Amino acid sequence: MSSPPSASASSSPPPCPKKMITLRSSDGATFEIEETAALQSKTLENMIHENCASTLIPVPNITGEVLARVVEFCSKHAEAGVDDESLGAWDEEFVAVDHTTLFDYIRAANFLEIPTLLDLGCQTVADMIKGKTPDEIKKTFKITTACTPEEEEEVRGENQWAFE
Amino acid sequence: MASLESLTEDLLVRIYKGLASDGDRKSWRLVCRDFHRIDALTRSSLRVLRVEFLRSLLANYPRLDTLDLSVCPRIDDGAVAVLLTSRGSPWAFPRAASSSLSPPGRDPLAWTRGLRKLVLSRSTGLGHHGLEQVIRACAYLESVDVSHCCGFGDREAAALSCGARLREVKMDKCLGVTDVGLAKIAVGCGRLEKVSLKWCMEIGDLGVDLLCNKCVDLKFLDLSYLKVTNDSLRSIGSLPKLEVLALVGCSLIDDTGLQFLGGGCPLLRVIDMSRCNGISSCGLISVAKGHEDLVQLNASYSLTECSSILLRCFKDLKNLNAIKIDGARVSDSAFKALSNCTSLVEIGLGKCIGATNLGLMRLVSGCVNLRVLDLTCCHSITDAAIFAISDSCRNLTCLKLESCNMITEKSLYYLGSFCLLLEELDLTDCGGINDTGLEYLSNCLELSCLKLALCPTISDKGLGHIASKCRKICEIDLYRCNGIGDDALAALSSGCKKLRRLNLSYCSDVTDRGMEYLGQLEELWDLEMRSLFNVTGVGLMALAAGCKRLADLDMKYCENVDDSGFWALAYYARNLRQEAKLVHLNKVTVEGFELALRTCWVRIKKVKLLAALRFKLSSDVRETLHSRGCKIRWD
Repeated sequence: MSSPPSASASSSPPPCPKKMITLRSSDGATFEIEETAALQSKTLENMIHENCASTLIPVPNITGEVLARVVEFCSKHAEAGVDDESLGAWDEEFVAVDHTTLFDYIRAANFLEIPTLLDLGCQTVADMIKGKTPDEIKKTFKITTACTPEEEEEVRGENQWAFE
Repeated sequence: MASLESLTEDLLVRIYKGLASDGDRKSWRLVCRDFHRIDALTRSSLRVLRVEFLRSLLANYPRLDTLDLSVCPRIDDGAVAVLLTSRGSPWAFPRAASSSLSPPGRDPLAWTRGLRKLVLSRSTGLGHHGLEQVIRACAYLESVDVSHCCGFGDREAAALSCGARLREVKMDKCLGVTDVGLAKIAVGCGRLEKVSLKWCMEIGDLGVDLLCNKCVDLKFLDLSYLKVTNDSLRSIGSLPKLEVLALVGCSLIDDTGLQFLGGGCPLLRVIDMSRCNGISSCGLISVAKGHEDLVQLNASYSLTECSSILLRCFKDLKNLNAIKIDGARVSDSAFKALSNCTSLVEIGLGKCIGATNLGLMRLVSGCVNLRVLDLTCCHSITDAAIFAISDSCRNLTCLKLESCNMITEKSLYYLGSFCLLLEELDLTDCGGINDTGLEYLSNCLELSCLKLALCPTISDKGLGHIASKCRKICEIDLYRCNGIGDDALAALSSGCKKLRRLNLSYCSDVTDRGMEYLGQLEELWDLEMRSLFNVTGVGLMALAAGCKRLADLDMKYCENVDDSGFWALAYYARNLRQEAKLVHLNKVTVEGFELALRTCWVRIKKVKLLAALRFKLSSDVRETLHSRGCKIRWD
C-alpha cells in the first residue's frame, strides 16, 4: 500500500499537496495512489479528466493483494529520477512471481489499461515459453486440453510438417 | 489454479506476439486447439513445405502478408491454377480439403488481397503463365523474389511487370532476362524502390538506362556481375533517391563512370564496388568527395594501390562506418591517414600488401571504435600488433586472422584479457597457436564462431577449455585439425549446447564414440565429416537419432559407413532436406542407397552421388527424385 510522501522541508515555497485517488478492490480493501502514478492507467486517466475521480473508485475484478502490487508498480514507474537500468532490475524482480499471480497482474493491467505492466507481464510469459516443446508448455502452464482424438490429430498432423 | 488458458484471447494474442522465433511459434501452435487458432488468426508469414496443404493453409490463415514457397517442391503452373480457382472444388488430395478449423463461407481467395510479399526463389517449375496469374491475382503485392529461377527470361519478366504496386523485385540469377524484359518491368512497375539483378548477364546499359528513367524512386540497386559500362553509371547518377548501390564484379566500369556517380545520387550511403578491375583510387576520390554522408564503402580487390590522398578524403566523411580495401597495397602513412576516421566500426584489410605492425598500431590508435577487423593473410603482423588492437579496441566483436602464422598464444592472451565482447575469431592456418592460447581465449565468453581449421597444434585439451566456458558457441571449424579426437567432441557436447555448424573433416581420430557425443547436440544443423574412416554405421546411427535438426551433411570418403548407418540416416534425419553429399561411401551398397533415397526423397533437395552409381541406380529412383524437385549431382 503506497503512502503519500511527506512534503519536502526546504526554503522554496512548499509544493502543491499531491492529489490522491482512492481505489477499492473486489474484497473491500482501499488503497491510495498519487494522481501522477494513476495516470499510468488509461482507465484511471480518463476518469481523472472527467472529474469522477474525487470519490472512491471501485475496481471489482482485482483482489486487494494484486491491487496493492499494481499500485506499487505505478508509483515506482511514476517516480522521477530513476534510471532505466535500475527500473529494469526492479521490473524483473516484480515479475518474479508464480504463474497465478503473474496472470493476475496481466489481467489487472488489461482491465486498468496500464500498457507498461501489460507489456512486461506478457513478455515475461512469452520468455517462459521460449525454447520449450509443446508438451513442456502444457506441463508448465498446466494446460488441460479437452480435445477429441480427431481434433488432436488435426492440430498435430498437418501442423507439424506442412509449414514453418 | 489459474492456467494460461484462463486468459482472454486478446491477452493470449499479446503473449504470442512476444514469441520471437519460428521454433517457439511452432511449439505454441502444437499445444492445443485454442493456441493453434491464435496462431492462425495472428500469423502474418508462412513458409510452406508441402504443396498439398497450400490451399487449406491459405484459407485458414487470414492475416498472411508474406508467403514463402521457396522450399515447397512442385510449385508449377498447375498448382497455381488450382490455387486461384474461386470455387471450393475438391482438391487432388481430399484429406487437406476439409479442415474443421476453417469457418465456412470464407472467401477462398481472400488471401490474394492480403499478400504483400511472395518468395518464389528456386521455384524452377513455375512458368510465365502461372507467374502472371499469381501476380495479377495478388493486386496489392509489394515484394517478389524470383531469384535463382535460372530458366526465367523475358516472358517471366513480362509477367512480373503486371504487378503495378511492386516496390521490390529480386531477380538474381534469372539468366534469361535481357534488356527487353527489364524494360517491361521498368515500364510496368513505376513504384520500384528495390531491384536486384545480380548475375543477370544478358542485361546491359540499355536496360539499366530505361530502369533509371522510369523508376525514379529507386533506393536500392544491385547490378553485380553485369556487363554494364560507364553509360550505366551516368544513368544511375540521375537517380535522386538512391541510397545503396552494388556493382560487384562489374569489370567494364572505370574512373570515368565513377565521376558520373560522384556528381549524382545525393543520398548515396552504401556503395559496393569490390572486384571491379577497372577502377582506381582516383575514381573513388570523386565518389567520396561528392557524398559526405557515405556510410559504407567496399572496394575489396578492386584497387592495386590505396593512395594516401584517398584515405585522407575519408576524414571528411563523418558518418563513415565501414571501409573495405582488401587486396590493395597500403603504406604506413596511409594507415595514419585512415586513423583519423574515428567513426569507423569495420575495416577490411585482407591480403593488403604492406600491412605491418607499425601501420596497424597507428590505425587503432585513432580508430578506437572498431568492432570488425579483417586481417586475413596479413602475414607480417605479430603479437605486438594484436596487443595494440586489443588494447585500443575494447569493443572488438569480429577478428579475422587467417594465415597470420606469426601469431602465438600471447595474442590470444591479449584478446582474452581485453576484448571480452569478441564473438567471432578466425584463426585458420595460424600455425603458431596452441592449447595454452585456447585456454587464454576462453575468457571471451561471448564467442560464438571460432575457426581453427588447419591448426595441427591444437588438441582436445585446448578445445576442452573453450567448450567449458564459451557457452554461446554456434559454429566451430576444425577442418584438418589432426590433434582433435573424441574427447573434444565430448567436451563440446556438454558445454556448447547451441552448436549449429561443425566441420570435422579429416579429423581422423574421431570414432563412433565421438559421434555418440555429437548426437547429444540437438541444435546441430550443418555437419561436415569428410574422410572420417574410423566412423561406422553405429556412429552414424547415433548421430542421426540425436541430431534431429540436421539439414546439411557432407560425408564424402567415410569409407567404413555401411548400409545400417545409412539407413538410419535416412530414417531419422527428417530435416535432411538441403543437401546431402554422399560420395565415396564404399561400403554402402547400391540397395542401401536406393532404400535411403526412397525414404527421404520427399525432403531432400540436393544429393551428390558418385558417378558410377548413375548406372546402377534404377531409373525409377532417378525419375522420382527428379519429379520431386530433387537435384542430383554426379561426382
